[in-house]
Amino acid sequence: MRMRLQRDIEKLKKRIVRLSTLVEERFHMSVKAIECRNASLAAKVINGDIEIDQEEVDIEEECLKILALHQPVADHLRYIVAVLKMNNDLERIGDLAVNIAQRAETISEHYGCQIPFDYFTMAQRTGEMLEKCLDSLVNMDLTLAYEVCAEDDDVDFMKNMMQNQFAQEVRKNPENTESLIDLFLISRHLERIADHATNIAEDVIYMITGEIHRHRGGDYVKDKKIRSLEGFSLSLDNDINS
Amino acid sequence: MGKRTHLFGRLFPPFVILIALSLAAVFWYATVVVENLSREQSTENLTNQAAVLSRLFQGRLSRENAAELDAALKRVNHRIHVRLTIALPTGEALADSIEAVANVTSLASRPEIQEAAAGNVGRAVRRSLASDKDLLFVAMPIKEGAAVTAIVRAAGPMENTQFILRNHRWEIAGIAVVLFLSAALFCFLIARGLSQSLEEVRLGIESLGEGRLDTRLPRPHVEELATLTSTFNRAAGALQSKVMIITQERNELEVVLSSMTEAVVVLDTNERLLSVNQAAENLLGIENERVKGRTVQEAVRNTDLHRFVTNTLAGKEPIEGDIVFMGEPERFLQAHGAALQDTRGHNIGALVVLNDVTRLKTLENIRRDFVANVSHELKTPITSIKGFLETLREGAMDDPEHAKRFLEIIMKHTDRLDSIIEDLLSLSRIERDAEKGEIALDSGSVGDVIELAAANCRRRAQLREIEIKTTLEPDLVTRVNPQLLEQALINLVDNAVKYSDREKTVEIEAKKLAAEIIIKVKDKGCGISKEHLSRIFERFYRVDKARSRNVGGTGLGLSIVKHIVNAHGGRVAVDSSPNKGSVFSIYLPLPVAVSEVRSAQ
Repeated sequence: MRMRLQRDIEKLKKRIVRLSTLVEERFHMSVKAIECRNASLAAKVINGDIEIDQEEVDIEEECLKILALHQPVADHLRYIVAVLKMNNDLERIGDLAVNIAQRAETISEHYGCQIPFDYFTMAQRTGEMLEKCLDSLVNMDLTLAYEVCAEDDDVDFMKNMMQNQFAQEVRKNPENTESLIDLFLISRHLERIADHATNIAEDVIYMITGEIHRHRGGDYVKDKKIRSLEGFSLSLDNDINS
Repeated sequence: MGKRTHLFGRLFPPFVILIALSLAAVFWYATVVVENLSREQSTENLTNQAAVLSRLFQGRLSRENAAELDAALKRVNHRIHVRLTIALPTGEALADSIEAVANVTSLASRPEIQEAAAGNVGRAVRRSLASDKDLLFVAMPIKEGAAVTAIVRAAGPMENTQFILRNHRWEIAGIAVVLFLSAALFCFLIARGLSQSLEEVRLGIESLGEGRLDTRLPRPHVEELATLTSTFNRAAGALQSKVMIITQERNELEVVLSSMTEAVVVLDTNERLLSVNQAAENLLGIENERVKGRTVQEAVRNTDLHRFVTNTLAGKEPIEGDIVFMGEPERFLQAHGAALQDTRGHNIGALVVLNDVTRLKTLENIRRDFVANVSHELKTPITSIKGFLETLREGAMDDPEHAKRFLEIIMKHTDRLDSIIEDLLSLSRIERDAEKGEIALDSGSVGDVIELAAANCRRRAQLREIEIKTTLEPDLVTRVNPQLLEQALINLVDNAVKYSDREKTVEIEAKKLAAEIIIKVKDKGCGISKEHLSRIFERFYRVDKARSRNVGGTGLGLSIVKHIVNAHGGRVAVDSSPNKGSVFSIYLPLPVAVSEVRSAQ
């Protein structure tokens, strides 16, 4: 019986990692669609979302099946519960990737000129967070998970910076407001993705330590955060000056 | 199942007990025999004495002679340690060698006397009332005819035998202890020797099991053990040679696998990685040691690969597929998968061979785009020329004002065609010369070349009020072809000027690094989107098709730059972000000797 449970959990692990891979790829594709203003890539992301949705449902059913059949306890139970939760987050990230791809479609239609915001640093940062939190899931790496939690604030900070930039840009070119809103939404989506990545990291922390890490405020690795923020604003300054 | 004991424990204590028991038995038996023997001897002695006495006093044994007999007996008393008594068959004592006859109570109740009275020789052992010692009594009847007339009794102490035994008890015990100890020691040595030999065999097997295949055992003197150890040694030798063969085969296989340029991944039926070769480690960015035993999903995050592995494991036929790795740079892999089957045809795993076809794919794209682009580039001016010529022929020729304008347009397009072909020719010339090694490289100052190129471009730059700044380190000397390098730099700086807005600056920097000289051309123009960066040095590749043709240019400038720099043994790079400008870098290698001198300094 124990063996069966172990095997089912292994299977579940495989599935959740596969889903996370899928989601990560979709995220990269959507960012790339923005970068290259590639509508066909965006369409691919949008059409592929059903696959993620299906996988999410399957994983949830699998979890419920294990819960009902084996009534796991201790770390097994934690694992299942955490998988249930991150399953949700992953699906949401997939949806957000779709949203970004939809923006990419609009942009490729209407917005021939350059993108006035520096999304790519933010997208890169979000991508790194996503990668780290998935790595922490695969390797059960607590340090990586904590790092992700700490990095979330950076992305939030970037989003706020972008919000300011957006306000300035709207004031300068009020006639472009509509396209600018499109662009601004991307930063919001990215920020949401980073939030979900943080949730996943927190689930990983829960999985490993059994400790619920949510709503702790930003007391962890505070000086590290500030340092990286300084780096970011510096690089922004450079970008503006150059 | 009884409790397990050591062989030593099995052998030694039973032997010791056995020895102790046998010694005790022998001791006991000897005691009994000696006792019996001495009793018999005493009995015989007494019997003899009684017989001698009876013979001596033959015929005088009657109540009448009692006093005489008594006196005679008392006389011999101090000579022999035997009490002699003469009695009548009724038990009445006639004479006694020790006691006064009067004191001797009737002997009729004594068993030996009763026996003698019946006509036989009577014997009895009894505790003497007088001396508190065991005494042996022998009574001999003296017969006249069939009737017993008197009885002669001799009594001697039994003490003799016990005395002997008591005296020698410690000696005997000592000998027994010595015997026991030496036997026990002997047993101990034998048992220990045996169990040590077995222990050696055990240790040998253990060390063999731990992988020390050169373990051999010494030959013990016991035949069975010798057979055992020699069998062991033979088995170990066979095992060693087998393992050596297997190791060698595995090493060969590993060498083959690791020297393959194709990535090879072996998986079991649960999609766990069993082994990956060096190429796969590099290609997939994984480490064999870390991913061994993990599922492919955990090891590599790529859905294409996951699907491919699942499909390979599902079928029995080998399959092929394409795998795309997102990310920077994007990579295309061609995958071949085959299910591994055991002798009964069951799937036991899968073998996936991955081939990096990114380069092929890129080349294919370049080729396809090149053909399309070159026809487009050549076709555009020719269409215009043809159109205007037709217009001229159909009457515009007679309208001098229009005709002149048309001719100028035709001239412009012809110039353009000319410059395209000129560029193509110089490109092919550079390529050909570089291939043949006919490009002359001489030691020269890179700084001078940069200044020349900058001066050359300044005129055009001034038209758009663009400043060209040069920041050069002194003493930038390497092997260059000045004409070609100048052409490359002019192309770069021209581009920078073309794509910059009015009143901006274009900077040229040159620095010496450890083993190369780096020349950077920076502009603050519109920049280039990421997706174009990798392809911008291709022939006729255009970022923005409409715009670049307006600002002039053949679409070959950067390609020429790349070829010139390649001919110098260097490389080009570009870094750009939209709206912030671009940086084109040329890396020229320093001559080996110079760089060595520098590092020595």
